[in-house]
Amino acid sequence: MTTQQKTATVTARTGRNRFARQQAAAGWLFTLPALVLVALFVGLPVLMAAWVSVSGWRGRGSPFSGDVPFVGLDNYQTLLAGGGLATQDLGTALRNNLWYVLLVVPTQTVVALLLAVAVNQRALKGRGFFRTAFYFPSVTSSVAIVVVFLFLFGASGAVNQVIGWFGVNGPNWFADPRGVLHLLLGVVGVDSGGALADHDVLGISLWEWLAGPSVAMSALIILAVFTTSGTFMLLFLAGLQNISAEVGEAATVDGASAWQRLRYVTVPMLRPVLFTVLTLGLVGTWQVFDQVYTGTQGGPAKTTITPAYLSYTASFEQQQWGQGAAIAFLLFFIIVVLTVVQRAFLRDNR
Amino acid sequence: MKRTRALLAAGATSVLLLTACGGSGFDDQGSGGGQQTSGPAKLQVLIGSSGQAETNAVTQAADAWAKSAGDSVTVTAASDLNQQLAQGFASSNPPDVFYVGSDTVASYASNGSLLAYGDELKDKDDFYPNLRDAFTVDGEFYCAPKDFSTLALVIDEKAWQAAGLTDADVPTTWDQLASVAQRLTTGGRTGLVTSSEFQRLGVFAAQAGGSLVTDGKATASSAQMVQGLTYVKSLLANGSMKFAADVGAGDGTEALGTGKAAMTIEGNWIVGGVASSYPDLQYKVVKLPAGPAGPATFTYTNCWGIAADSKNQAAAKQLVEAMTSSDQQLTFAKAFGVMPSVQSAADGFRQQFPAQAAFIDSAADAQALPNEAGVSDVITDLNSKLEGLGTGDPQQILDATQQNLEAALK
Amino acid sequence: MTAHLVRRSLGYAVLTVLALVYVFPFLVQVANAFKTDGDATADPLDLLPLPGTTAAFTTLFTQLDFPRAAMNSAIVAVCVTIGRVFFDCLAGYALARLPFRGRSVVTAAFIAVIAVPPVVLLIPKFLVLNQLAIYDSYTGMILPLIADAAGVFIMKNFFESVPRSVEEASYLDGAGTFRTFWSVVLPMSRPAVVTICILSFQASWNELSHFVVSRSSPDLNTLTTLVATLSNGGAFGQANQYPLKLAAAALMTLPVALLFFVFQRHVMSASEGAVKE
Repeated sequence: MTTQQKTATVTARTGRNRFARQQAAAGWLFTLPALVLVALFVGLPVLMAAWVSVSGWRGRGSPFSGDVPFVGLDNYQTLLAGGGLATQDLGTALRNNLWYVLLVVPTQTVVALLLAVAVNQRALKGRGFFRTAFYFPSVTSSVAIVVVFLFLFGASGAVNQVIGWFGVNGPNWFADPRGVLHLLLGVVGVDSGGALADHDVLGISLWEWLAGPSVAMSALIILAVFTTSGTFMLLFLAGLQNISAEVGEAATVDGASAWQRLRYVTVPMLRPVLFTVLTLGLVGTWQVFDQVYTGTQGGPAKTTITPAYLSYTASFEQQQWGQGAAIAFLLFFIIVVLTVVQRAFLRDNR
Repeated sequence: MKRTRALLAAGATSVLLLTACGGSGFDDQGSGGGQQTSGPAKLQVLIGSSGQAETNAVTQAADAWAKSAGDSVTVTAASDLNQQLAQGFASSNPPDVFYVGSDTVASYASNGSLLAYGDELKDKDDFYPNLRDAFTVDGEFYCAPKDFSTLALVIDEKAWQAAGLTDADVPTTWDQLASVAQRLTTGGRTGLVTSSEFQRLGVFAAQAGGSLVTDGKATASSAQMVQGLTYVKSLLANGSMKFAADVGAGDGTEALGTGKAAMTIEGNWIVGGVASSYPDLQYKVVKLPAGPAGPATFTYTNCWGIAADSKNQAAAKQLVEAMTSSDQQLTFAKAFGVMPSVQSAADGFRQQFPAQAAFIDSAADAQALPNEAGVSDVITDLNSKLEGLGTGDPQQILDATQQNLEAALK
Repeated sequence: MTAHLVRRSLGYAVLTVLALVYVFPFLVQVANAFKTDGDATADPLDLLPLPGTTAAFTTLFTQLDFPRAAMNSAIVAVCVTIGRVFFDCLAGYALARLPFRGRSVVTAAFIAVIAVPPVVLLIPKFLVLNQLAIYDSYTGMILPLIADAAGVFIMKNFFESVPRSVEEASYLDGAGTFRTFWSVVLPMSRPAVVTICILSFQASWNELSHFVVSRSSPDLNTLTTLVATLSNGGAFGQANQYPLKLAAAALMTLPVALLFFVFQRHVMSASEGAVKE
């Protein structure tokens, strides 16, 4: 009690200056732990990886010891223009991940939006149940979900049995390396790429780039939509609740159909949320690792290797640490560029 | 002052949190190099175990050695051997002794992680020569072969008899294999099922006289290689052979055990696999048929690697000698079904396991896959292409592999 | 009117089917965990495995050291949660309220950190842990996960919404900065703190890649690394042992599922906070 009174008088006497100084000191002290941790486990690793990616370190002893050579951009050169296996693997990984992004991001966004609109209706009975059901997959670990999906999508697994009821003979999902787009083209009689087969980008032919996701990758795409749509549904829900109900009702009075309301009223007003969802989706889908590590290990026929997984195997399995770090940086670069491009694009369309 | 004290308290709490959560650990990272010269050694052994039986057997053997040598040994079964080794080498604190596959020996040798001690072993001439070659990189015999297996033809007895086949029909040529595979193919059962990797299919290329690498040069697209794969493709084409994945099985053992295959090509690890998962299966093991260039099969082997950064290399070498002795290997054979890597134990093995004679008899025809650095990546890539062999062109597949191999061997 | 009714019931039907699709995998998971290997492969769709067997669970507990992994997961998740909440709140409060030279630089630094994709850090994080000699230890598993710039921002946003008047009263009473923060502002921030707690626990419980690179000793297995190894065929894996894998997956889901159902409201509103970010 007495101390406090004393302090109060002291504070009052010395005035604002001292108070500000103390607040400033506290500011630094409060941010310091978080700052140190972030510097140590995000900042420092980035710098170390930068060094390893331009070094010839092969995985024995410290990468900072004197006998580790500086090799300049050799690792990047091998990956991007070497033409060997490293280039082919990177090309394959980028191809796989590109198709994954192209299919997952729009699908998860649309599914999440529709789910959100559906469970946002005031009149809907059991809203809580539906929200919970759609969101639940998002809280479970990707490892557990992958295990379940491996089982569901087995050769004679649950999914194939269900589609068997409709007379469809399901594929052996996780063992099927055929590209979905190639399969579709095969249906209309296009079986080989012609001139496309003769031109290579990053070690694989244009025809291979056009293979589409493999059947195995498609199962992972379904998995991604399944686990992420709930989270994004919540984001959209939050956005929807900010739109006043009257706006929608006014549109109904004007005789707008449900679709028109969605298209011309709801979606434009959700633009900021849409932006968040697309950014998060884009950043997330370029980082597929858990699913590949737990489920497919890149197989069948390398159709599910992704840059993130490739960076891991190059380092830990093949002792090519320089290349592994370089792949990580290339991935970093891709993500940053895409985010910036997408930002600019959505801004311009406003 | 109260304020200062409060701030200090905040700081102290942070520190406490950091330490409370970071208490225990395994950071007994001795610093500095140099060999331990006196006192009992503490050996860390990391194994890529096939299961509890192997872990127990190795632990027992290691403990017995430790007791007699006055040292102590900790045996750990790795969950991902390659990754854990990589992490150990990078931290300069690797396990002292560990399994190394013949496909990874060159990459560990090339970054200097592996001690080349093979030539210092007392009984180094007792190892099968082709196993010694598997662990010889640039003329240096790096590590002692732990054990090995060869590939042989494994046949479901009931299916064999049901097709009206007898012992006289056991195939010894490609044509005979094709015809029995055809006869054994019925409804839900395929004559021959193997996984689609080169580690299995490659035996036919070897039987045609082909090899991925000959005298350090890439020969993946040789006429013999193409001939071997073309033969496989012909079996696939008429349906008498399928890949394990295509019949919904993980590997040949599973296909045979679940009745989806009448024959498969596997190593003698199939014995343990069948015993634990499909105890009712009756099967026999015969040597693979001979191809146009004679009999050939593949051999798979691991060695006991010793880390170049180990501080207990002398003790580690003694441990390895104990583990590779003829008697000890026969004990391992009994415990988890591997074949001894020393020739002096071959007769003992035949006596104990007459049903597996075909595996050990194949040792003379067995080749190890090339062990040059980078080749295992090329084979992984080849495997991804072989999955499409049924509809693919052997020449084209092998041409691509030839290119990759040339790049890798440069 | 009837057309409206038809449309309505159609809407319900579609939603119900969709909800079933979302729930179905979990039903299959739990049901098949109680089957024998053979039954699970032959008849995966049977959702009532009678009589059922608990063999898979027995194996988990007797042969696989599942309890140890569960304990490790719990230790790590609890430590990470406490650490994150404490540091996120401190830093968030400072960024929101305390005027200090360099605040904008620090804020920018945190934003930059958010932009670094975690997967990119996989390899370098291993190198740093190695260099700091905390590789393969609880410290190495926990500390890096406590670094959490996103949580700092969630708290910063929240504190900005707290009226300044409460603090002024506290300062006039003579309380210091930490005291004001700790006993006046923080208690008012319960909803946000609970949110951060749940998000942190869930994230660290479900984390895989960090534990793949930060440890190797089997004694430090977490549930995610154990089940992942089980799934990708290492150590114990046999292609067909689905009941075992599914049982493990179901058990590891349980704690986060419970947490989710208890704090559903908080979890759901958590993402709303993220939108404002």
